[in-house]
Amino acid sequence: QTVLRSSDTHPDGYPTVEAVKYFGELLNERTAGRYSVEVYHSAQLGQEADTIEQVRSGVIDLNRVSMAPWNSLVPLTLIPSLPYLFRSPEHARAVMAGPIGDEIAAGFEDHGVVVLGFYDGGARSFYNSKKPVNTVADLAGLKFRVIQSDVFVDMVNALGASATPMPYGEVYSGIETGVIDGAENNFPSYESAQHFEVAKYYSLDEHTIVPEVFVMSKSSWDRLSDEDKAIFKQAARDSMEKQWELWDARVSESRAKVEAAGSEITTPEKQPFIDAMAPVYSKYVNTPELQDLVARIQATEG
Amino acid sequence: MATWILFGTFTLLMLIGTPIAFCLGIASFAAILYMGLPPLVVFQQMNSGMSVFTLLAIPFFIFAGDLMVRGGIAGRIVAFAGTMIGHLRGGLGQVNIAASTLFGGISGSAVAEAAAVGGLMIPQMKARGYGADYAVNVTSMAALIALLLPPSHNMIIYSISAGGRISIADLFTAGIIPGLLLAFALAITAYIVARKRGYPTEAFPGYAAVGRAFLIATPGLLLIAIIFGGVRSGIFTATESSCIAVFYALIVTLTVYRSMSFQAFVDATLGAVRTTAMVLLIIGTAASFAWLMAYMRIPQQMIDFLGTVSDNPIVILIMINIILLILGTFMDMGPTIIIATPIFLPIAVAYGIDPVHFGVIMILNLGIGLNTPPVGAVQFVACAVGKITVWQAMRSIWPFYLAGVVVLLMVTYIPALSLWLPAVFRGQ
Amino acid sequence: MSSSSHQLDLTGVDPRLATVARVLGRISNLALYIAGIGLVAMTLIVGWQVFVRYVLNWSNAWTELSAILIMSWFIFLGSAVGVRENYHLGFDVLLYVLPKGSKKILRTISDVMVFAFAIGMVVYGIILIRLQWNERMPGLGISGAFRYLPLATGGFLIALFSVERVVLRWAGVNVDKDLHDEDPIPQADAIKEI
Ligand code: NA
Ligand code: NA
Repeated sequence: QTVLRSSDTHPDGYPTVEAVKYFGELLNERTAGRYSVEVYHSAQLGQEADTIEQVRSGVIDLNRVSMAPWNSLVPLTLIPSLPYLFRSPEHARAVMAGPIGDEIAAGFEDHGVVVLGFYDGGARSFYNSKKPVNTVADLAGLKFRVIQSDVFVDMVNALGASATPMPYGEVYSGIETGVIDGAENNFPSYESAQHFEVAKYYSLDEHTIVPEVFVMSKSSWDRLSDEDKAIFKQAARDSMEKQWELWDARVSESRAKVEAAGSEITTPEKQPFIDAMAPVYSKYVNTPELQDLVARIQATEG
Repeated sequence: MATWILFGTFTLLMLIGTPIAFCLGIASFAAILYMGLPPLVVFQQMNSGMSVFTLLAIPFFIFAGDLMVRGGIAGRIVAFAGTMIGHLRGGLGQVNIAASTLFGGISGSAVAEAAAVGGLMIPQMKARGYGADYAVNVTSMAALIALLLPPSHNMIIYSISAGGRISIADLFTAGIIPGLLLAFALAITAYIVARKRGYPTEAFPGYAAVGRAFLIATPGLLLIAIIFGGVRSGIFTATESSCIAVFYALIVTLTVYRSMSFQAFVDATLGAVRTTAMVLLIIGTAASFAWLMAYMRIPQQMIDFLGTVSDNPIVILIMINIILLILGTFMDMGPTIIIATPIFLPIAVAYGIDPVHFGVIMILNLGIGLNTPPVGAVQFVACAVGKITVWQAMRSIWPFYLAGVVVLLMVTYIPALSLWLPAVFRGQ
Repeated sequence: MSSSSHQLDLTGVDPRLATVARVLGRISNLALYIAGIGLVAMTLIVGWQVFVRYVLNWSNAWTELSAILIMSWFIFLGSAVGVRENYHLGFDVLLYVLPKGSKKILRTISDVMVFAFAIGMVVYGIILIRLQWNERMPGLGISGAFRYLPLATGGFLIALFSVERVVLRWAGVNVDKDLHDEDPIPQADAIKEI
């Protein structure tokens, strides 16, 4: 029996952690116990940037990470990270589970990993420790932690705030020690990482929906038989749908929890935010291929 | 087998005197080579273990401490404590404890405290007829107060090891009452021992002298308010207040006391570099070691094992305390915090113990280990200052240990000692 | 004890060896002073950031990112100096009970192990540098390779100094002075802090 090691920065019980566990159960069932998965949750094996190097060099077999840290390696991953590209979480799911998802996934293979599937990362919004944010102008002078990706740095700068790329696990103490004023994330992360304790102003601007990606080390993948490969792909696919269910339940649960804990949620008007993003689009969507991809994503139903 | 290589290599190297930072790194390197994994990970984890934003506060607190020792802030605090309570029984012992408590409020390092307060107090105590062992033991135990009172960089290391989700302001606040309790317990012990040995008291110099000494020490004492008040109120953060402490210490010594030469500044800088490099290298290699432990599922096994032994939180806590005391005897504080936190914190939380409370328990527990050979950094420094051997100090330290252990038990089993004050500040 | 690098007593050592040791002493001192400048620079950067934040109500991303990079440099440089000056915290119970002759051998083993680890720092540091070569560090805009440069450099110096320790020890130089042999009242520079 082979036990595959999988990393996740989120805590036990988080939808992505549970989805990978479910993937493991399916594998165990469908391979008659030949494969199982052990999830090292809560960043036990390191922060995202570290575990990406680990899965690429085959130290771990599986990894569930955000798409953004791949931006400098796999150029196409930039596109789903773009602000206000997806109309809704459902739209993002439809795109990533379809042919466009496969197209983006293909770009990972040159970098030592195989994409098994994409999970929902939910809509991300800003939160901070200083003041409620109702307009773009309110963001001025605030310093936000962003995922380690230049798109996010430029997005935050375009809004007049400043951006510090930083590992997820350092955000809580970062806000507390004043290295940053806040961060941006979805409700489940804001809640499960206890960021709401140190940054109570959450502004529901929903600037990005960044898919999560579930990858397997290429060296582990190449050891599988063709039959097993098909089983792995299907199990990942099934775990994706499971994750969507878990995700939706968790979003409302988390929101209720942070509200009960005293978070102040504001709902800024989105259009000024969308308008402010024009320079980001012109900087990153700079080839006909990328423009075509953006157009096809926008044309996808969902 | 990989587990044996990891721990075996570590223990063997430790026994032959390899610096601890390298014991941890080499053991991880050996284990990963044996496991056939890319050794890259050991060096990657070492590098990222020390490139953590929250760690920025540590070099600043250490730098500020060095500046305060060399620039005379520490000396003036000791002088103030001397005028205030030198007339009590075992006077200079009490002065030592009071000075340690005050200095502990601006420095987070027990070793710096043992060197600073001990360097000023131990020679005086010996000259006034106190036994060198008594002077050394009071110094080394009172130095532990610095670990508990804010600022405490070990609490920062604890917060990072716990995944960075424990409030540093709460940890800083939680240590105050246990720190003062330790000071009080040591003062009683010092009194009893001094009475038994017939040590002298000092003449009371009069309120005018106390007032003057207070005024002279005020700039240093103000720093306590800046650091704690700043962090607690959220005006300044831990990193910011640590950096402000450096500037403040410099300004006070240069303009108010006019007591620092350029050479002394250079010496303080280089001293801080040496100390910081040592502390943070250990943090880096301990991170590799902790990564391997997580990869081998050792914390999980430990949790399962403790679960089979008992399900009574009182029993579990005493077991964790005993294990930590043993670890603290052989290891130093930083690496033990990094390695033990992922193992014991989940257990403690599962038994309903607050992570902030558990942090205070761990810091005090491992602090006592700084005064136990074979690895006792604080004791080594105090003994070096007092010019006695560690074994001479060990013979008469036990009443002070006992006081420390009593405080540890109180802190362990009375959560309010740690948790009441943070709750008050949070307005709950 | 002064804060400048502690000087090894090289009397009676082969003059060529003594010259090499003196050169290494210079390198070590240089590393120490660069590290010291790094600490001061880091203090100024973060201090400046506190100032602009509170006084000008304005903040930047690069300050902590660069402060962390500088911190890496002075940790690794300071650690290398620590190997040469023998101030890293360690203990040696076994060495107290064993006869004097075996001390030398055990300490040599220890130095050889440190050397092996330092080689690992260099080799894997370079591999990490190459892996990150084309990646840009978000927020600073410089190559991700800079993250691992201090690791490889520190490893190189530690390798150098640990070889020096072995050679000098067998040439009869006392490279294993411990705290108790030093100046009795430790100033902050003799502090071995955890
Ligand atoms: Na303190
Ligand atoms: Na000890």
